[in-house]
Amino acid sequence: MFSAITYELSSKFLEEHKCTRLLGSAMSKKPAAQPTLHKVIMVGSGGVGKSALTLQFMYDEFVEDYEPTKADSYRKKVVLDGEEVQIDILDTAGQEDYAAIRDNYFRSGEGFLCVFSITEPESFDATQEFREQILRVKNDENIPFLLVGNKSDLGDKRRVPLDACRERAQLWQVPYVETSAKTRDNVDKVFFDLMREIRSRKSDDSRATNGDVKRTKRRKIKCNIL
Amino acid sequence: MGPPPVVTGISPKEGPPGTRVTIRGEFLGTTATDLIGLKICGCECLLSAEWKSKNKIVARSGPCKGRGDIIVTTKSGGEGTSTVQFRGYHESIGPVKESAVWVEEAAPPSLPWGRRPMSPTAYTPPDPLGLSTEGDDCKFPEEELHELFPDSSGKLCDENFQPGWYLLEHHSNTSFEDLKAGMVFLQRKVEGQKEGQLSFLKANTGAVMDQLDRLVLLKNMYEDDQRKNGKEPLPSLQAAIEESITLADSLFSEILSRKENADKTREALSLLTRHKFLFQLPASIDKNIRKKEYDLVVNDYTRVKNLFGNTDVKLFQKILDEIDKKIEDLKENLHTRMKTMPINVQEQTKYIRLLISLNWEGDAAWIAITTRKDYLMNLLIKVKDHFKQKEEQELGDKSRRKAKEGEGEGSWSAVRAGACAAASGALAAELHALWPLARRYFAGELAGAPADPQRHADLKEMITSAVQLFSTHVRACVLSGGAAAGADTLRARLLANLRSLREAYESLLKLDLPSQPLSVVEKIIFDYRVHGMTVFLQRAHKRVKGLVDKETWKIQEFSEYGAITDLPHLLETYLIDALSSIHKCVFTSGRRETALLIEGSEPLNILQKHTQQILLAFVSVLQELALQHDDQDFNNTSLSVALDQPLVAGGAGGAGGAGGAGEARARSWQQRLLIAAANAAYARRVTLPRVAAAFDSFEFPTPVLALQTTKDALSNLESSIAETYLEHKGDPLVGTIEPSMYMGRHKIDPDAIVDDARPYVYEIINNLIAVHAEVDSICGAACSRYVSDICETVCEEVSRLVASAPPPARAPAFRARLEATLLRLATAAHLTRKAENYLAETIASIPPLETEEEKKRMDTLIQDFKKRMELQLASLNCNMETV
Repeated sequence: MFSAITYELSSKFLEEHKCTRLLGSAMSKKPAAQPTLHKVIMVGSGGVGKSALTLQFMYDEFVEDYEPTKADSYRKKVVLDGEEVQIDILDTAGQEDYAAIRDNYFRSGEGFLCVFSITEPESFDATQEFREQILRVKNDENIPFLLVGNKSDLGDKRRVPLDACRERAQLWQVPYVETSAKTRDNVDKVFFDLMREIRSRKSDDSRATNGDVKRTKRRKIKCNIL
Repeated sequence: MGPPPVVTGISPKEGPPGTRVTIRGEFLGTTATDLIGLKICGCECLLSAEWKSKNKIVARSGPCKGRGDIIVTTKSGGEGTSTVQFRGYHESIGPVKESAVWVEEAAPPSLPWGRRPMSPTAYTPPDPLGLSTEGDDCKFPEEELHELFPDSSGKLCDENFQPGWYLLEHHSNTSFEDLKAGMVFLQRKVEGQKEGQLSFLKANTGAVMDQLDRLVLLKNMYEDDQRKNGKEPLPSLQAAIEESITLADSLFSEILSRKENADKTREALSLLTRHKFLFQLPASIDKNIRKKEYDLVVNDYTRVKNLFGNTDVKLFQKILDEIDKKIEDLKENLHTRMKTMPINVQEQTKYIRLLISLNWEGDAAWIAITTRKDYLMNLLIKVKDHFKQKEEQELGDKSRRKAKEGEGEGSWSAVRAGACAAASGALAAELHALWPLARRYFAGELAGAPADPQRHADLKEMITSAVQLFSTHVRACVLSGGAAAGADTLRARLLANLRSLREAYESLLKLDLPSQPLSVVEKIIFDYRVHGMTVFLQRAHKRVKGLVDKETWKIQEFSEYGAITDLPHLLETYLIDALSSIHKCVFTSGRRETALLIEGSEPLNILQKHTQQILLAFVSVLQELALQHDDQDFNNTSLSVALDQPLVAGGAGGAGGAGGAGEARARSWQQRLLIAAANAAYARRVTLPRVAAAFDSFEFPTPVLALQTTKDALSNLESSIAETYLEHKGDPLVGTIEPSMYMGRHKIDPDAIVDDARPYVYEIINNLIAVHAEVDSICGAACSRYVSDICETVCEEVSRLVASAPPPARAPAFRARLEATLLRLATAAHLTRKAENYLAETIASIPPLETEEEKKRMDTLIQDFKKRMELQLASLNCNMETV
């Protein structure tokens, strides 16, 4: 409970900080030192293809051999709708062994790609838990979130019906996309869609912040007292 | 200069030192060598970096702590940048924490008295909020703290302490109620410190008083002490301490020294057990050498060289020296063994391998080869000497025993045969050993140094010289002259020698030796075969020559060419004997041998020459036999004897078919002459074709020239014999005619009535009968030649005599006519045309009969003569068969 509050506080600080910096830079009419950074976190069970998707997106590379990930970090510049932004991808471990450290990672995420394998019903079931954990940590129903059904190239081995996936996406009110890290089908789409959501979400937030400065100030004072 | 490297991905993004990190990005180097630097969190990790592609490097993180960039430096792009960061942390490992590395569980060696230095840095002040942090596993991400509170610290003692950081770091999970309680606690503490000294004193009056009392007491005691021990208590204290130290030392020195000894002993023992192998090696080497387990020795030696070869320890070096010495001895020993002959190849190979594996400085295999060769040479010489000695000894014995037989068997003796077999065996066996050895040597199988190309030539030289030596010895042994032994021994020895030679040759063939030595051996065999052939032929020659003494004049058979003795048959037998021996023993060629009798080859010439010699020898034997007449015998023979003898002998000859040797020996030389002629004729007509047939049957080329020469020689001989015979037979006969014609009643009354021929006519007839009988008894159907020849001479003589004294009177004329007619009548069967002419001329020269009466008388006389001489005439005209 407390941690959630503190985090909220801290994120507010951060945004404020950034805003002032942005403002300062804008005022000095200098080009931004760093493009906007969007933090994407890959979640999902082990072996569904999180790392494969990431590497395909980052390096156009399909890795055949499976090596369980602990926590990988990638960051590169992309052009999103004509604007240069940076995408930071945190590729997390799917294995339950690392479940305890997930919370920490999730906190820093701005958008989530919740991946499962359409050939593995268990991984589809697990998306439920991930969703819950993310919502708990972020405490935000509208956090940018995409449900991704990977391994669409293995259509003949499909064991999760498309309807069930769509139904769940509908339930969560998130987009559902099927990808293939192997054929690079929809890979760019999921990342760019997610980034667009993050961007729109940020602009919403900043408008809200700008629109209600007082509330922010009050909060800030409160924090200082603490 | 290409674009600088950019690291955009790291997997994993954090980990303890030594984590395998996959670094991804762009322009991370064009090749593995292009990558010249890799820093993770400031630690150089190039050493562990594994360049995979220009987008990927795999490395291990260094001993870094905290977050840091990953900086890749390439030759082509220079120093790069990183968009991601790696965080290194040190894992604290404890009893409950799983760890990939094994942790020493024993306590670290503690200092005496358990003094443990307390690092001031390790001191962490207790929680100011007085809250337990247990179960606070969820850590707040450090990087976020850094982001939230730049230039601040979460440490209580730091100047830039940020309470927010501290709280987030330590109490991010603490509930709000607990925090409030902590706040209260902290406030109370602060309050407590604020209240001042007075209140503090008031609150603790009793304790303060107590402290004062104590201080006074302490002071008093100190002063007492000073009084007692003087101003400087330290020296005495020091002395006491030193005393106690010495005492303690003395107390413990013994124990300590004992412990030290024990330690040393233990150390030595452990050293011994650890290097047991080394220490026991000299003994085990000795043992193994005794057991001949050289492989073990070599293995051990190699092992010990690997393990302790570079040791600096004196003791080890000493032992190594000892071992080296033993190995040197062993090498020497092996070398000697390898060189000691005889030895089989396997063993020798084993020694060679051992020597090579012991790094012996010589070329072991080559030495083995040369040794073997020397041994072979020596062996051959030894064999030769041994057998020579043996032979001499035997010869000595023999000459002592039987001086007459001192000749010995020469090249055919058993000793020589033995020598030949031994030498062949030795050559075959040793080359069998030497050649494979050499082949393996040159094939590099003996693991030696690659062979000098010169050595190939050397080896060839060696083998050739060995074979040459062998050939010289065998030649000396087998091909040198010597009296021929009996046929059977001869054949047996020849075959035995040939067999041993061939066996050797066979085995050399199997070895695939170069052609040069092989041809040498083959040459020996060939020469030996030729030698054998020559020997057989010479033997036949000798035997044929010896026929002179063998002639018994015993008539063996009446052929159509007259009566013959054993001679032609013996000739045939001897020749066929020799030929069959040759055929059996030497004609057949072994594998890869030259055929003996090739057209135009030396052996064929020899064969032809010898055949001719043998046949000519036979001819000369016949000649000798025929024409060798004791002059004595002949000279003593008076005319009458000469004339009488044939009758007697003829009678004997008639019965001679079954006659004894004594009888035969008594033959007159005229008879011998005739027999020889018959033999010659038989030999010419029958034996020679048979010999030719024999040559054919043995598949030898027919010696046409020899046969032809012999044929000519034989016909010459025949004619010369015939001449001789005539000379000796006809001359006396003719010589008797004139005296007996004029004997007594030569000068008869011209008118006297002639009622009979003069006795000389009867004499002539009788003589002719004698000759006819003799010739016929010997020559049979062929006799007419001799008889008619004699008749011719007789007729010639009579004609001459009648012509020289033409009878003037009637009576002598009548008588002469009568005589001529009678003679003509008697010899009618044997008259040649010439003789006929002579007689006709004689009759014509005599005046013809004038009266009928005379004619009638003549007829009567002739009829009378016919009647009277019926038996004589018949005997003159018949021959053996009709009788």
